[in-house]
Amino acid sequence: MINAIARIGTTTISVTRTFRDTLSFAFTIILKMFNKNSYNSATRQVLIHQIYFTSIQILPLFIGISIIFGTLLMGIVLQIIKNLGLAEHMGRILMDLVVTELAPFITVLLIALRSSSAINAEIAVMKVNKELNTLDKFNIDAVDYLFLPRVINGVLSVVLLSALFSILVLTSGLLFSKLLFGLSLESYSNVLLSSANFYDIVISLVKCCTFGFFITLIPIRFGLRATNDLTSIPISVLNGMVDVFIAIILIEVLSLILIFI
Amino acid sequence: MLFEDEVALDKGLNDFTLKHKKNLGLVSLDVPLISNLDVSVNIALIKQYHENLSADTAQRLVLSYLTKYSLADISHKRNPALTNRERFCAMLLRAAMVRDSIVVIDRPFTIIPDVQDDRFIYDALKVVDDSFKECHIFDYLWSKDRYRTIDF
Repeated sequence: MINAIARIGTTTISVTRTFRDTLSFAFTIILKMFNKNSYNSATRQVLIHQIYFTSIQILPLFIGISIIFGTLLMGIVLQIIKNLGLAEHMGRILMDLVVTELAPFITVLLIALRSSSAINAEIAVMKVNKELNTLDKFNIDAVDYLFLPRVINGVLSVVLLSALFSILVLTSGLLFSKLLFGLSLESYSNVLLSSANFYDIVISLVKCCTFGFFITLIPIRFGLRATNDLTSIPISVLNGMVDVFIAIILIEVLSLILIFI
Repeated sequence: MLFEDEVALDKGLNDFTLKHKKNLGLVSLDVPLISNLDVSVNIALIKQYHENLSADTAQRLVLSYLTKYSLADISHKRNPALTNRERFCAMLLRAAMVRDSIVVIDRPFTIIPDVQDDRFIYDALKVVDDSFKECHIFDYLWSKDRYRTIDF
């Protein structure tokens, strides 16, 4: 019994420490983000490369998934709306479901699967190869050069790809709204625009930024935890990705609570 | 500077690098090239970060030095693809990119184990001698015989 309590206590302390360290690291990154001295030619070059790897390279896959998933989803949702006789709430349902909930969630899952794992492995490999030592010896701040561009890229990519997802899914909704409700392009656009709520868009934007921030920040932290052994790389990636997933769920839950308050 | 053993050398090197941290251009196996960057980006990084030189200008400067070494073809290679001599030149060039650089070469024959004496090091230093202020070599006493051109 005492052992069990001790184990719970140890786990609680460990989780609290991890949480505190993550927030402290996040605070450092945010401070750097608003410091103009953090930006130079090298940082900008890394940022451009990161945006290319995260947002541009993924575009064909992302557009494909958005269209296939979006078309099927819109078909089902609009059919349900018709069956339940909720046609007058169609715009509101679509905006809440697609823009506020689905777009950020699907986008962050795709980016986390592809880029968070890559960032985690990259930082861990650099740690093992002593490449972070190289930056230190040449007075290059790893936060400015390595971490900040990756975090900014995470925020930008999730916001932009989430917006693209919303546009593609809502556009594919046009097809079904015409088939099921006989709505023209103009009527469909009017329904959506009149249902657009500034507060929802702000929530969606904040959610995307928070997602993007943490799905890049957490892998960086776990990458830095790698030791000098090559075997520590997969462990670091595994633990990092589990925490990224927990962070995604936590942010999603918190945003839902915020919406319902 | 020559040292009797590893402990003395590490201590000497550590003290020296701390003292000259601001202008230090270290060439050492413990300070490798960044493996996911091309050689030219590795070297240009110093000028881009510290002097905010544009990527294009920095790359051109690097290429001009690599050409002096007759190593222009390695500019797009990455660390694992380099030979020991190419790696040494790239690391030396990177060290020389630091403004008013104090170049420190840590145990050069561990980076270029296939080289018998210091002529290669001397020649490599000559190519970039307009880019650094001082150069110091840290090695073991027992390697003294390999230094025929450079005086300690």
